[in-house]
Amino acid sequence: MMTCRDVNGLLVDYVDGALPPEVAAAVERHLASCEPCRAYLATYRKTRALGAQAARVEIPDEMRTRLRQFLLERAG
Amino acid sequence: MMSDEHLLLKDAAGGDASALEALMSRYGSRVYRLAHGITRNSADAEEIVQDVFLQMVRKGGAFEGRAALGSWIYRVTTNVALNKRRGKRREVETSLEECLPAWEADGHRSGPRAFLVADWSGRPDAELLSGEARRILEEAIDRLPEHYRAVLILKDVEELTNEDVAASIGDSVSAVKTRLHRARMALRELLTRRLGPQT
Repeated sequence: MMTCRDVNGLLVDYVDGALPPEVAAAVERHLASCEPCRAYLATYRKTRALGAQAARVEIPDEMRTRLRQFLLERAG
Repeated sequence: MMSDEHLLLKDAAGGDASALEALMSRYGSRVYRLAHGITRNSADAEEIVQDVFLQMVRKGGAFEGRAALGSWIYRVTTNVALNKRRGKRREVETSLEECLPAWEADGHRSGPRAFLVADWSGRPDAELLSGEARRILEEAIDRLPEHYRAVLILKDVEELTNEDVAASIGDSVSAVKTRLHRARMALRELLTRRLGPQT
């Protein structure tokens, strides 16, 4: 039987869907009976999504303009 | 045979303005995101973007195309950004440890039950990405070591595979997975301390 710590150590591969089916099934059996691990997984996934959204920035237009000028002066 | 991107790089290196525009269009935001993610500073990120594109223009002609161009660009960006941070780096590894889960001898997580079962994941993104919650998230990201932030950007924003992240930062897949997990755990912990038990 997996412990909470065992499950935590597999989360990177679990959320990627990269675990072998029998290992993923064992994680899911543990989750079915462990409220703290279900809460952990839900907030772990949400954290991943929030971190990605917070960091999803585009290069500002004025910076792109300066970069173009900077490179054209030096290219060739 | 040269790939489309390989040709673009050669043309840009030769001073072709339209090839340069195409490279900027394809990679400008990706380089900026990674540079900003590592440095957390817009002015530093701009200098890094200039440096990386200048390296493309000056050294791109020598790029042999054995690796994917994207990985090469990410690797150059990571190196330039980490070099820029050298000396400014705060020693946060120790404080990161206290943001990771603590474990009992039997494999259960330590802590009060209300904290262990706190689940704030149902809160709307709009609420979590604005105001006080956004500030908490940004502070938590600031606390991560630069290498961890680089891995988070490449994996969770650019959605590279673990293998491509490893190739991009010149590290092993297992090191990438360890950093990724520790970074997500630390962010989750800091968010839960502030958002969790009230829900």
